[in-house]
Amino acid sequence: MATTQNHGHDHSGDGGHEHPAAPMVDEISDFEVLELAVRELAIEKGLFTAEDHRAFSEWNDARSPAAGSRMVAKAWTDPAYKARVFSDPLAASKEVGVDWSEPSGFGTTSDYMHMTVLEDTPKLHHVIVCTLCSCYPRPILGHSPYWYRAPNYRRRIVRWPREVLAEFGLIVPPEVELRVEDSNAKSRFMVLPMRPEGTEGWTEDQLAEIVTRDTMIGIAMPKPGRTSDGPRPIHKASRPVHSGGRPREATP
Amino acid sequence: MSGSSIGISAQSEGHYVDLRRIGLLESLRKEDQTWAKLAPRWCVTSPDPPWQVCLDATCDALSAGGTLDSLERRHAEDELETVYSEIPNPERQLLALAHIMVSRGLLSEEDLARQIRAVRARLEAGQEEDG
Repeated sequence: MATTQNHGHDHSGDGGHEHPAAPMVDEISDFEVLELAVRELAIEKGLFTAEDHRAFSEWNDARSPAAGSRMVAKAWTDPAYKARVFSDPLAASKEVGVDWSEPSGFGTTSDYMHMTVLEDTPKLHHVIVCTLCSCYPRPILGHSPYWYRAPNYRRRIVRWPREVLAEFGLIVPPEVELRVEDSNAKSRFMVLPMRPEGTEGWTEDQLAEIVTRDTMIGIAMPKPGRTSDGPRPIHKASRPVHSGGRPREATP
Repeated sequence: MSGSSIGISAQSEGHYVDLRRIGLLESLRKEDQTWAKLAPRWCVTSPDPPWQVCLDATCDALSAGGTLDSLERRHAEDELETVYSEIPNPERQLLALAHIMVSRGLLSEEDLARQIRAVRARLEAGQEEDG
């Protein structure tokens, strides 16, 4: 795109920017226009205000998997609560602060008020997917990760689950049955992973920290010391590549 | 929805929504304009269009205000699946919302057409200088 306007900062070459801009859709689609037109007309007619709209957007964006982590940790430490997680997952969600009926009284835009919690055992491991689109238990786990919505995962996890899990670094032993649960617009699933060894005597808060989003999707197992905000594992390269040429050891 | 609209064809009554086709929305149902087609053309990897969060907020705000509750909208969306079958989500969800609002008289087809023209003019303004 040739830029003829000067907005007060340099867009030529890399001046002012150290990295190239991510690709973006520079085309106005009919659907983008329709969304804005519907929203603006609704505001014009007094059906809601621009401030209402902004508040709902912000509320949506702020959801996280923290409530799901709390739910699992509580189920690990409280057998009565664990029973309620399976018998009435929506009531159990409410106990950890998530009301599936919010914000509209009937749930969010796309989430029906229905969820099933899948219990992992030493002989059975679950993983969830939405083969059709990207259905996900958003009220309890927040927004789905990018790869969950990508066709690559959706297509392949149902065909080659062990191989796909291995790509995430999770090796499920052959003697463990693997069940892939396919979500749809009206049924959402969440995995209740097994409590790992080495967590005896831990508090609910400590346990919740290791129940990361991925463990409730089923592509990872909880492990002491592995938290979503912990230090990233760094493995020093055994044959580091030096900038400007081939690795020194490889030079004849 | 104006009953005399030339865009409305065969009668088909759903339980939650009037399933008759709406001329204005028929003219917008272009698969080529969906995010699934648009994003790869521009080498964009995000699986969702940026406007999806706004659509969700619109649906939530309509429901919270009692104008169109979410459960009814979802049932109506289900009924409209056959009408917009070749369009994927979230574009189908957007078409369904517009269809429901027009068919329930919350918006008129004429108002929507006018607003679409106004929004398009606004978004396209300045494109020539930039392009």
